Amino acid sequence: MVLGLMKPDAGTATFNGTPYASLPQPLRTVGAVLETAFHPARSGRNHLRVYCRAAGLPLQRADEVLVQVGLADAGRRRAGGYSLGMRQRLGLATALLGDPSVLVLDEPANGLDPEGIQWLRGFLRHLAHDQGRTVLVSSHLLSEVEQTVDRVVIVGAGHLVREGSMAQLRAGADGAGTVLVRSPQADRLAEALRADGTGVTRDGDALTVTGRTTAEIGSRAFAAGVEVHELRSRTSGLEEIYFQLTAGREQFSAPSADVPSPEATR
Amino acid sequence: MTHLIRAEWTKLFTTRVWLGLLLGACVMVIGFAVLLTAFAGNPESGIPAVGTPVYEELAMANAVNVNVLFLILGIIGMTQEYRHRTATPTFLTAPRRGRVVIAKLVAYALAATLFALVVLAVNYAAVAVHAGVRGAAPALDADNLGTLGSSGLALVIYAVIGVGLGALLRNQVGAIVGGLVYLFVIEPIIRSIPATSGAYKWMPGGALEALTATFQGPDLLDAWQGGVLLLGYGLVAAVLGTFLAVRRDIV
Repeated sequence: MVLGLMKPDAGTATFNGTPYASLPQPLRTVGAVLETAFHPARSGRNHLRVYCRAAGLPLQRADEVLVQVGLADAGRRRAGGYSLGMRQRLGLATALLGDPSVLVLDEPANGLDPEGIQWLRGFLRHLAHDQGRTVLVSSHLLSEVEQTVDRVVIVGAGHLVREGSMAQLRAGADGAGTVLVRSPQADRLAEALRADGTGVTRDGDALTVTGRTTAEIGSRAFAAGVEVHELRSRTSGLEEIYFQLTAGREQFSAPSADVPSPEATR
Repeated sequence: MTHLIRAEWTKLFTTRVWLGLLLGACVMVIGFAVLLTAFAGNPESGIPAVGTPVYEELAMANAVNVNVLFLILGIIGMTQEYRHRTATPTFLTAPRRGRVVIAKLVAYALAATLFALVVLAVNYAAVAVHAGVRGAAPALDADNLGTLGSSGLALVIYAVIGVGLGALLRNQVGAIVGGLVYLFVIEPIIRSIPATSGAYKWMPGGALEALTATFQGPDLLDAWQGGVLLLGYGLVAAVLGTFLAVRRDIV
């Protein structure tokens, strides 16, 4: 819908104030990878040349983006013989043809091997941070997204659930600002901490402490001569935050509606 | 627009579909030319003898027998975008989709013109050699050139119809099978049944027959009317296809 391929029921999407379909040179403004689509009998290089021609770009852009995504050696081979990772790279190369300032990527890590995912993470960061492009990524792989993105938009069942930086989302999540301590002498430590009215809840050998830093709790434990096995501030992962934010909403139990789309912008 | 047309040519000539179709068309047209000439003058075949004006008209119009391959050329040109999902990057590159379909129509009309010239040359060569052996090679006089030209025009129009049909149906196999069934089953039936043969002259096959040679044919339009009608079918398919391609969601 953002790219004008489908008609939305309501609303508009614009790039720098212009709807996609009205952009004078769409490929030079927005690069998109929606699905890896190419004719299997055409080489990757010729595939790119088709879109160079269509967008009025010089043909050597095809070779330049092939180098950028690391496909220079495979460019003249039939795209039908590419591995999944190479297909994703070819899709990315297509999006980069017009040297756009905005990239829209749909599930770019799908089907990539661990090496490919690491490469993609670095490549997207390079595009966003070093080259100053806006990169919009949609993904179901929440832990992957968490490592890459600067800002997150959580969309569920067609509605905006939450938007903000990872830090903002973490701050708003349950258990934010608390510290977890594990100790074989949890009772004694809880006592020592409660002495000045610090809030402590105990669950077996784990204590959840509110309003104290890890350093404060550490020195308190040291002073009390209590053995400590774990001491860390509790931060929620994106996945945890997502489930907290969407928990208890009936529409999320419908399988087709369960589409979280955290997105990242520069 | 020029960019988009050139992009369509790049698409066409970076796979081998065009080569297969062109070679297939050449082989078919040689086969038909040899058959036609071999049975010319044979009383049982009903084909007039080599050297008669009717034989020459038939021989010069022989190329239209490969119209199905030009139809398939147009169908594949359009439906490959949907089959291989390249419609997405194509319409992202050119969000005004009507321009993409128009570029395809123009690109395939021009490519088909080139292919038709090759097929016509092959057809003339095959006829000239074979009929020459049998006594009288057709001369390239005004009549024969006119028939050659109109049969070439018909081939180009069939490619345009193919693009329009592809945009309408989007399913490659469905569009090709549908096109074959129509050309080889439905039209011949309508043509042969007396009750419906009156309608035949208004159909693409009837228009084609009117445009080129007639051979023990039913009631037909004048040649120019047939040409206009055939072109009309091509344009209707193209306009409908454009309209639908613009309206439909790409998924």
